[in-house]
Amino acid sequence: MRAKDILDLREGLMRGGVLFCYCGYVTEEVLSSIGDAIRDKLALENTEQQVSRGLFAVFVEQVQNIIRYSAEKQEGALEDRAVDLRHGVLAVGRSDGGYYVSCGNAIANGDVPRLRDGLSHIQGLDRKELKALHKEILKGKTPEGSKGAGVGFIDIARLATRGIEFDFMELDQQLSYFVLKANL
Amino acid sequence: MESIKLEPTKRTPGIDFNFSAGTFAISGESYPEDVNKFFGPLIEQLEQHLQSLSGGSATVTFDLIYFNSTTAKILMGLFETLEEAAAAGNAITIAWSYAADDSNMEELGQEFAEDLVHANFAMVPKS
Repeated sequence: MRAKDILDLREGLMRGGVLFCYCGYVTEEVLSSIGDAIRDKLALENTEQQVSRGLFAVFVEQVQNIIRYSAEKQEGALEDRAVDLRHGVLAVGRSDGGYYVSCGNAIANGDVPRLRDGLSHIQGLDRKELKALHKEILKGKTPEGSKGAGVGFIDIARLATRGIEFDFMELDQQLSYFVLKANL
Repeated sequence: MESIKLEPTKRTPGIDFNFSAGTFAISGESYPEDVNKFFGPLIEQLEQHLQSLSGGSATVTFDLIYFNSTTAKILMGLFETLEEAAAAGNAITIAWSYAADDSNMEELGQEFAEDLVHANFAMVPKS
């Protein structure tokens, strides 16, 4: 790959305000390491603590969703341990005076309607309603998944002070690509 | 019961459970890969201890910087367990320590404590 190819890739990302971007198999170690770098970067920029904490929290929830649910995976056994790698794209950037966390991963086509309904529902709730739903799910009164979205998505919506966006695109007969963007 | 002391790691909180003194502390960050694997045995021992109390007391301190949504489910369950122990006649005190400028952590503490009737609860903002 020539320098121009990588520079073009970089240019494309920078135009979108991207500060951090990762595309590949994600592990908890990748999560912690990028998470730490994000915290350091925001601290150097004197970002308001509340924004920095929120961004880190959204990042963790989004990346752990990829690690738990990405349908693009590679599993196997190494000499000393089992490995379960999940593929996804993570991007953290700046836009309109704020920040965003945008993540994508493959999901089964069959999961799209449930996820779309759940996220649409959450998107339409105000802060008070999100808090009430969060509490209900934490207390186990609403079974996880019954509204198509677990407590992680509600957490993300609560922290995304400037809202969430999501999109789906069918890849083939089995898989769709799912992208969730949280704006803070 | 033997005391349990775990140093905090990048993704798991510090644990200081002193069963004979009746003091229990959870501090730091919590976003473990497998939340049940980390908290399961700890919560189980704490529950056993609380069930063995009769007119006893326990003080539980939360001093968390960050925790993820799966940890939040564990904490909610823990608050319910503590409330049950208080309802059974034990003196249970819960302290929720948080950075004074962290309104999200403050709100979560209030949310967990909303249903407490018998247990004593204190918000402890740190400057």
